[in-house]
Amino acid sequence: MSRRGHRAQIVVVGLFVVLQVLPVLAVALNAFAGEWAGTVLPEELTWRWAAQIFADPRFIEALRNSLLISFGAMTVSALVTIPAVLAGHCYLPSLDRWLGALVILPYAVPGIALALGLMRIYSGQYGVQLNGTPWVLIFGYVPLGASFYYLPIKNNLRAVPVQEIIEAGHLVGAGDLAIMRRVILPAVMRGVVVGLVMNFALAISEFVYANLLVGGFYPTLQIFMNVLRQGSGHLTSVVVTVYFVVVWILSTAVVAVMAKREA
Amino acid sequence: MDGTSRTPTLTLPQAGGGNGKVRLGVQSNKKTIAFLFAMPLLGIMALFEIAPLLQIAWNSLHDADGQMTWTNYAEILGSRFQRKSFETSIIISVGSALFGIAVGLPIANTLRTMPVRLQQTVLTYANIGSNFTGFPLAFAFIIMFGMSGSFTLLLVKAGIVDTLNIYSTGGLVLVYAYLQVQLGVLLLFPALGAITADIEEMATMVGASRLKFWWRIGLPILAPSLIGSFILLFANAMGTYATAYALVGLNANLVTLRIGELAAGDVYSDPQLADTLATLLILVLVVPVIVEQTLLRRRRK
Repeated sequence: MSRRGHRAQIVVVGLFVVLQVLPVLAVALNAFAGEWAGTVLPEELTWRWAAQIFADPRFIEALRNSLLISFGAMTVSALVTIPAVLAGHCYLPSLDRWLGALVILPYAVPGIALALGLMRIYSGQYGVQLNGTPWVLIFGYVPLGASFYYLPIKNNLRAVPVQEIIEAGHLVGAGDLAIMRRVILPAVMRGVVVGLVMNFALAISEFVYANLLVGGFYPTLQIFMNVLRQGSGHLTSVVVTVYFVVVWILSTAVVAVMAKREA
Repeated sequence: MDGTSRTPTLTLPQAGGGNGKVRLGVQSNKKTIAFLFAMPLLGIMALFEIAPLLQIAWNSLHDADGQMTWTNYAEILGSRFQRKSFETSIIISVGSALFGIAVGLPIANTLRTMPVRLQQTVLTYANIGSNFTGFPLAFAFIIMFGMSGSFTLLLVKAGIVDTLNIYSTGGLVLVYAYLQVQLGVLLLFPALGAITADIEEMATMVGASRLKFWWRIGLPILAPSLIGSFILLFANAMGTYATAYALVGLNANLVTLRIGELAAGDVYSDPQLADTLATLLILVLVVPVIVEQTLLRRRRK
């Protein structure tokens, strides 16, 4: 590769990274900006807005709700999805094909349509009242996040001769469950970790379900941002920045874990 | 991989005792247990993914009293306003999906030539960043390109624009373009694995230029992935609600915004129409997927 070609590559990828980071920086800057009108960069920086937000009980409540829902959804999804993916891949190929379609379905079907259906079903018409509670989100996010486990785990499993491993395990007297836990699960751990973070990021970023199904009954960060928008842009920026920081810390932890595993 | 067909190859005398029937019994027992492990996910998917879709489809075919009717569809298809909402959504979605592919493909291809560690870091962040939509994204764009946003000021100072109105269809197009490039890179990056070093080397050996290589070899190889990615990007834009809502409120005439308005709006609430609109939206999105899959299967045969 020529030197010029190489430089062009760095520029292209660099531009992509800048594009991703720029909006985040803009919001963060606004969160700490004093007066910022009519100039390209703020004239002074201040903790004022951050202090004001962290003293607001509504913010603390929204942050707590969001973390509870996100960790809850992540836990439930992981617990039900990982066994199902392994069961499908290792024992039930026909189920596996169905799972493949079911996890992709939410990519084609818009969130608002699903939310509408959930609204009709879980508002008590069928004797079940989940709307207005965090449970509809925790369970509702499971199908939305299933692909985050399915795709990377399947990718990892493709490199693993599962049937041979199971047979070899039988020869040394290991039961199927032990083989799954001791051999197969560690082999897909990378995929699982990626899935967990993606799942968390989805749950803490989701707005349509939260707004339509729960709204003010159990306000999340996303709902709180929308409530705040009528007020000062600086306060909203602080909330958005907190959301970024939470997601960023998690992603970085994952990148670090994956890098370590590789080393 | 088919588990059952492999089992008989294991012919050690102590394992399975050579009795095919017992072996089969053990196998189907294991399948039942495996199925039990899959049950919780299947149950949740049935209740929180399939049932809601069936419910809105059913609602779209019934009136408020539960009588079967086509009037919901007739009303929407007869309304110029609602038809226009589909038109606007489709135009923005097709345009932004094409843009996402046109810009995402070169970026993904360049990324492929980078060191693996860098690739993974960029992709991991981009993957998680792809959740960065809705209010935070719209808000970031308002800060950058709003009335007194930094970029608005820079652009005005440079004399490129006089004013910039981010709270408009133009603003929506800008934000959608951003979303689509981000997702486009993620979708196209794995597809590019189909263009191996051998293929590129061979093309260089027969003296093909870069342009000729992509036109004659690269793009045809990628065609199925490009179509698949386009459909997903199209669906992504068609289904975007939170981002559009945060940016323009209910002012733009997009299908998703109309659905939200009819579902939860104080003034225009009409559950039947909302469900019908949602069903039509799903049809618009699912039909291309089915057509694509059928074509793909035929191609494979």
